[in-house]
Amino acid sequence: MDPFSAEGELINIHNAFLQGQYQEVIDFDTTSFSPENNIPARILQLRSRLAVGEADQVLADVEGEKETPDLAAVQALAQYTAGDADGALQLVQDLVENYPDNASVQVLGATVLQGLGKTEEALAVLGKHQGNLEAVALIVQIHLQQNRADLALKEVQAAKRWAQDSLLVNIAESWVGLRVGGEKYQSAFYVYEELASADSTSAPLSIVGQAVAEIHLGRLPEAEAAISTALQKYPNDAALIANSIVLNVLAGKPTEDLEKRLQETEPSHALLTDIQEKSELFDTAAGKYSAKVSS
Amino acid sequence: MQSSPNMLTKFESKSSRAKGIAFHPTRPWILVSLHSSTIQLWDYRMGTLIDRFEEHDGPVRGIDFHPTQPLFVSGGDDYKIKVWSYQTRRCLFTLNGHLDYVRTVFFHHELPWILSASDDQTIRIWNWQNRSLICTMTGHNHYVMCAQFHPTEDLIASASLDQSVRIWDISGLRKKHSAPTTMSFEDQMARSNPSQADMFGNTDAVVKFVLEGHDRGVNWVAFHPSLPLIVSAGDDRLIKLWRMSDTKAWEVDTCRGHFQNASACLFHPHQDLILSVGEDKTIRAWDLNKRTSVQSFKRDVDRFWVIAAHPKINLFAAGHDTGVMVFKLERERPASGVYQNQLFFITKEKHVKSFDFAKNVESPPMLSLRKLGSAWVPPRTLSYNPAERAILVTSPTDGGVYELIHLPRDATGAIEPTDVKRGQASSAVFVARNRFAVFSQANQQVDIKDLSNSTTKSIKPPSGTTDIYFGGTGSLLFITPTSVVLFDIQQKKQLAELAVSGVKYVVWSNDGLYAALLSKHNVTIVTKTLEQVSSLHETIRIKSAAWDDAGVLLYSTLNHVKYSLLNGDSGIIRTLDQTVYLVKVKGRSVYCLDRNAKPRTLEIDPTEYRFKLALVKRNYDEMLQIIKTSSLVGQSIISYLQKKGYPEIALQFVQDPQTRFELALECGNLDVAIEMARELDRPKLWSRLGTEALAHGNHQIVEMAYQKQRNFDKLSFLYLATGDQEKLSRMAKIAEHRGDFTSRFQNAIYRGDVEDRIQMFKEVDLYPLAYLTAKSHGLTEEAESILEAVGLTEDQISLPQIEEPLQVVQPIVLTYKASWPVKAAAHSSFEKALMGEVGAGDEEAAELGFEPEEEEDAVTAGEAFEDEEEDVAGWDMGDEVNVEEDVDFVNVDSAEAGAGSTEADLWARNSPLAADHVAAGSFDTAMQLLNRQVGAVHFAPLKPRFLEIFKASKTYLTATPGLPPLVNYVRRTVDETDSRKVLPAIPRDLETIASVDLQEGYAAMRSNKLEDGVKIFKGILHSLLVNVASSDAEVEQAKKIIETAREYILAMSIELERRSLSSDSPDDLKRSLELSAYFTIPKLEVAHRQLALMAAMKLAFANKNYSSALSFSNRMLANGGSAKLLDQAKKIKAQCERNPQDKIEIEFDQFAEFDICAASHTPIYSGSPSVSDPFTGAKYHEQYKGSVDRISEVTEIGAPASGLRLFVPSQL
Repeated sequence: MDPFSAEGELINIHNAFLQGQYQEVIDFDTTSFSPENNIPARILQLRSRLAVGEADQVLADVEGEKETPDLAAVQALAQYTAGDADGALQLVQDLVENYPDNASVQVLGATVLQGLGKTEEALAVLGKHQGNLEAVALIVQIHLQQNRADLALKEVQAAKRWAQDSLLVNIAESWVGLRVGGEKYQSAFYVYEELASADSTSAPLSIVGQAVAEIHLGRLPEAEAAISTALQKYPNDAALIANSIVLNVLAGKPTEDLEKRLQETEPSHALLTDIQEKSELFDTAAGKYSAKVSS
Repeated sequence: MQSSPNMLTKFESKSSRAKGIAFHPTRPWILVSLHSSTIQLWDYRMGTLIDRFEEHDGPVRGIDFHPTQPLFVSGGDDYKIKVWSYQTRRCLFTLNGHLDYVRTVFFHHELPWILSASDDQTIRIWNWQNRSLICTMTGHNHYVMCAQFHPTEDLIASASLDQSVRIWDISGLRKKHSAPTTMSFEDQMARSNPSQADMFGNTDAVVKFVLEGHDRGVNWVAFHPSLPLIVSAGDDRLIKLWRMSDTKAWEVDTCRGHFQNASACLFHPHQDLILSVGEDKTIRAWDLNKRTSVQSFKRDVDRFWVIAAHPKINLFAAGHDTGVMVFKLERERPASGVYQNQLFFITKEKHVKSFDFAKNVESPPMLSLRKLGSAWVPPRTLSYNPAERAILVTSPTDGGVYELIHLPRDATGAIEPTDVKRGQASSAVFVARNRFAVFSQANQQVDIKDLSNSTTKSIKPPSGTTDIYFGGTGSLLFITPTSVVLFDIQQKKQLAELAVSGVKYVVWSNDGLYAALLSKHNVTIVTKTLEQVSSLHETIRIKSAAWDDAGVLLYSTLNHVKYSLLNGDSGIIRTLDQTVYLVKVKGRSVYCLDRNAKPRTLEIDPTEYRFKLALVKRNYDEMLQIIKTSSLVGQSIISYLQKKGYPEIALQFVQDPQTRFELALECGNLDVAIEMARELDRPKLWSRLGTEALAHGNHQIVEMAYQKQRNFDKLSFLYLATGDQEKLSRMAKIAEHRGDFTSRFQNAIYRGDVEDRIQMFKEVDLYPLAYLTAKSHGLTEEAESILEAVGLTEDQISLPQIEEPLQVVQPIVLTYKASWPVKAAAHSSFEKALMGEVGAGDEEAAELGFEPEEEEDAVTAGEAFEDEEEDVAGWDMGDEVNVEEDVDFVNVDSAEAGAGSTEADLWARNSPLAADHVAAGSFDTAMQLLNRQVGAVHFAPLKPRFLEIFKASKTYLTATPGLPPLVNYVRRTVDETDSRKVLPAIPRDLETIASVDLQEGYAAMRSNKLEDGVKIFKGILHSLLVNVASSDAEVEQAKKIIETAREYILAMSIELERRSLSSDSPDDLKRSLELSAYFTIPKLEVAHRQLALMAAMKLAFANKNYSSALSFSNRMLANGGSAKLLDQAKKIKAQCERNPQDKIEIEFDQFAEFDICAASHTPIYSGSPSVSDPFTGAKYHEQYKGSVDRISEVTEIGAPASGLRLFVPSQL
């Protein structure tokens, strides 16, 4: 039986990971799992630790376990996360060559490749997957980053045929939905709202999703309510802060404090780099104009 | 034979065999006549026996309530018919005449008649008013088992063991008894000789039809309420349906099914059904049109003898060997579900409809569920899934079925649903967007199903589970007879359990934090984790509940709508004339469904519970609001407040002085208490006030209270204690006046006035005491004179040893001058709020800092100048406003194109509006557009606006951890998916600018913060310059706002320039006077222009420019407005009119039309050359052409421009 399926023993830990409940994954009691599920569970826990910023500890943890390709893939991702791009790329390329069918290698390897801007290679690696939903989700995300919503949509629809009810497929569909818009905004909202509203599944990830959907739906007060409660609970979540800035600007409220906070938590966030870049663009463009008579 | 799952027993009694039953037409009462000779009167709603009537001898078979009078009639085996009053609880009279058992008795619906059927083979009609027999109908040749009046016509139906049913025409009888005054002679003859009228001895009642078809005796017959139909039940075990016309009657069909004698039958009052009971222990319902059995109910051992229907509501009663049962054939609770502003419900015709709460509109039918369950069984529940726009309905037919149906997009009519998923279940509810739970009570199993109806999970509920409900996302509530269990579906784990018995319904609050568990007589409020919050008991059955948005539960009982706060406080909101099922509460409206499944809106007054809620939450502002806006009075709320320990709040509501006094004392509000005591002026109240004031230490009030009570002793003591010697001596005088020596003595002691005491003793001839006093205080002279007066000498008196005389202790602190430290009165924060409110109101009246100092006396107006000067200093804001922001960034071209084009690129492609280009990040094209449209050249001030729009253009969605977030673009075209039509959302829409920014600008003007004001208005201009409108009307509005902003900026700049001048040099003074005059030119709001005029007027007046001042005052008076301002204007006008000359010549022609140049702040008279700004339209002298607009600081004055574009019609 597929250990990730609804009846498998990994379902809860895996769902927790997908819902962004990284601490729950890390604290998950895995002792009762059958031996063949030990590695997948450990991989999930290691990835969660990466997600909460423990790259160095993860590197130490997998030290000397390069023999297992899954763990080596984690190591690559950890290296990438820690900033060692070259080492990560080297390792990933090795792994992809030697273990092209390993699910962890596919997903984690492609993550590193995409992160390094090697989109074509990432897609090539992922293309070899055999019913690996995480790979599907990653393909969807890469297509969306390429602004190819059409391809992403195809990928999701294909996956829905064989895994209609998987949480991951639902989430990936919401990603696409938020790009496509119209009625899809509402469907995406329902997916995230369902996750965010239940205590057992709520996490910044799902709240951000819910709030983003609501912003797109033009329901600013609702989005505001969701985000501000979440910000109290998770004051240092960069995604929450970034979207809160967007929301506040839309609502015509000041955002200086939030921008400062984002600068502190994640100075490399796309929002900040974009603004920086556009600010410079503005000055150049504005420089081309001047009044005939200076006053 | 199917049993009936949905026959609902409402009441059962235990007694001996019940032979007759009658419903009261309006009250929840039922009369039961028993084989044991007793007649019982039950309240079937409360389940109590109200009365017993025991005068018959032997079984009582017939019984009937009078439709309007407090009467009932009974007939028994003692051959007697008795008429009773249930008010006086006794038999009024007995009608004798029958010669054998009386089987049935019935009142006529309007005439004062009683119809009886008897084993003596006759049917008789009696007039109960004159207690006489008026007609005897003979013809049956065996026992007559039943005889009934037709509900509207002059007909009688009778059933007899002679196997026939007869229909009798009694129109003759009615004629005879209805026109007694105009009776002709012939009629009188006919009446006096009835035996001659017809050969059978009767013209009053003639047999119209004889219906033969039963081949055994017939036990019962009944008319249809509106159709010409008759139904009969016989010992041949058959129920026969007959039809009649004016001329004939015939058998229509037979209902076969009873396997023993059929005892009684009747037509359903509203539905096409026949009901029958029999000795086979069954109640059966038959389809009137198909004559097929619809449902049946069987008792184990008791044979049924009689059945009756309630005339108005859906209730029936059947009598059997051991009592009666009152039941409903079907649930009347319409299945419904609420989502946001929509109610989905199933009508009596089994159509699915929706109701929009916001618009108050009922939709046409959307679906027909005719095929769900069986024809006569209404669906039980409806669960709505907004994500899929699907409904899940259950029907109790065949042990329970459910259907999952997608609603059509538009309600086009009662179409048959396609693509229906169905299955067996006693309950079914949605538990998540794409999951629902179905519960089978028989198998005690819950299946979680996906939308394709395949089971994804199975759960074993706690044993004895009777129902399931939604338990919050991903959770279920299991209802067992004694408890409620919260269960997490995903983790398959029981989260909580609460012992509450008999829960029937669960109603979640709108925010999903609380749920109300309803059982027959209890409401239990729990949190979402199933912790009990409160619980309350109702003696009347609870029917439904709904939450209002503030978290107050409203619930309905059979006859009331009530509320319950979370803390369990409850009360009645209104009474109900019929049972309704609440579905939603919104403001003052309660939406509900009635038993006919029609949406209804009940208006309620939520004040009481809102107030209590505010009280509980200590939301004083809201309470204040409620007190101000509604007339919240009544003893209940006052006693509630008092009980809850808020007398000070109760005080706010009460008008009655006595109650106010009591409350004021309770909360220690002496001011109010004294006011009330004055009003009532009763000694008792003063005494209580005195006591209370003393406890407070407020001796002024104590003094007043004592004075009012004329309690001199206490007053004197009070003065002693407070050290008020003056008043004390006045007390002494009063005592002297009154001739009250004791009091005078006391006062003298208090004052230490020995002479007065001696004097007093002398006056009352107490010389020994007078002497003693004088002696002991060393007043020898006085002592001697006393001795002299009484003719004694010192030796004759022997005195005890006297020590130093005691003096009255004097208070060290003379507290009468200032009060004692007074006990702080219990000023609640509520009262503070009240007082604060008043304060704020005053401030508002004073128009904030702009108002020049008040000058009452016009003669001293010269001084006003100085005040004005001070004011000007207050206005002095220093440097010119600088909206520009420091900008120094290096340009880097944006890289990255990606495989497809981003939505941002599409925006720029789709729109010719600058704002859309800004949102797309295409700043250079945006600038090009603005340059072309309005001649924008100086973009630096627009930078915050550009970045603001850009910032709001996209959201960041975290996807796979480790990769950057997915970027999505925020659209204003929310419903659009066509990539050629999508457009970005632009923050600060016109509405926000008009309702927020503009008001801030006005506020800055009002509060004299001109620099801020200039900034705000410039911000408005910049926001509007880079913006979008959604209609031509909005474009017009935007243009108006631009003009307004221009005028304000101009006005404020003029005034700011004036303030920057020193007033020393004559040139500056002249300029200052001019500027203050120009300040009045821009088109400001009238209130603001008045301020400008006021300032100009005062300045002119102070500098003896009376002519200008006069013109300003005239303009002010013409504008009207606040009386205070106008008064001043009038005074100044009066002064100026004496000498309307200007001392300093200024360049200001009050009669000419002119504009003000926005750069030089000098007049541009009409006709002289000028240029204007393409964006703001501000006017300038010609020499300013080509420079940057002073108003917007963005555009070039006089630049060629095509005009600002904010709106493209085709975009919509």
